[in-house]
Amino acid sequence: MSTSRRSFIVALGSASVVPWLNAQATTSEAVETIKKIVGQAEPRVGRVTLEIAPLVENGNLVPMTVLAESPMTSTDFVKAIHIISEKNPLPNIVSFNFGARAGRAQVSTRIRLLTSQRLWAIAEMNDGSFWQGHADTVVTLAACTEDVLV
Amino acid sequence: MSKTSRTVVSMPKTATKGEIVPIRVIVQHDMESGFRHTERGVRVARDIIRDFVCIYDGAEVFRAELHPAMGANPTFSFFTKATQTGTLEFKWTGDNGYASSVTSSLTVT
Repeated sequence: MSTSRRSFIVALGSASVVPWLNAQATTSEAVETIKKIVGQAEPRVGRVTLEIAPLVENGNLVPMTVLAESPMTSTDFVKAIHIISEKNPLPNIVSFNFGARAGRAQVSTRIRLLTSQRLWAIAEMNDGSFWQGHADTVVTLAACTEDVLV
Repeated sequence: MSKTSRTVVSMPKTATKGEIVPIRVIVQHDMESGFRHTERGVRVARDIIRDFVCIYDGAEVFRAELHPAMGANPTFSFFTKATQTGTLEFKWTGDNGYASSVTSSLTVT
């Protein structure tokens, strides 16, 4: 594909890094999102473990495991776990909902990270209490910034 | 992305009653985030899977709400408690009418 000088400059200005920088969620947006999840309740620290590599080479596919301590019986179980990002374009990454028969409140998946940041895991128990945990990670290659489509 | 795509579910075929069964699922999907641009600076529309659910023995055991920050070809490893012999139903739904579903049977002894 031949790229003219003009289209290259257009691409540089409008497509590459600039919209991503503007689109970053700020820490306060993450805090707002957490507030929306917990409502009036005050999340306590503990019972949730978020496992993510401390150094990530490629932000496009980052393996992640979240685990909440709970007996997972019909009377005492984890209802939901929310993963929140500080610096992705959108603060929500993924939310998991568990039934009482989930057996174990543990999920592994793969996510995208724009940059080095702190991730939060908020767990909602069936008794209405909230618990939080966090993990810090350093990302060397950001998700998507290199992707300029033809 | 087409309206449906390939899915793979990996789990044991048999389990003893009360055992915690590991389940791994993966679905083929680009998960276009809606934050990428073409060379001309035109934003590529978002096209992602929004929802994944696993139903077993008449109850929802696991559900995930997906956002653009999920990696391409979303995969989940999760668990369920074996209660009785039956089928597990896995369903994915997403933007532009995307829907996929697959069932898997579990024999409980």
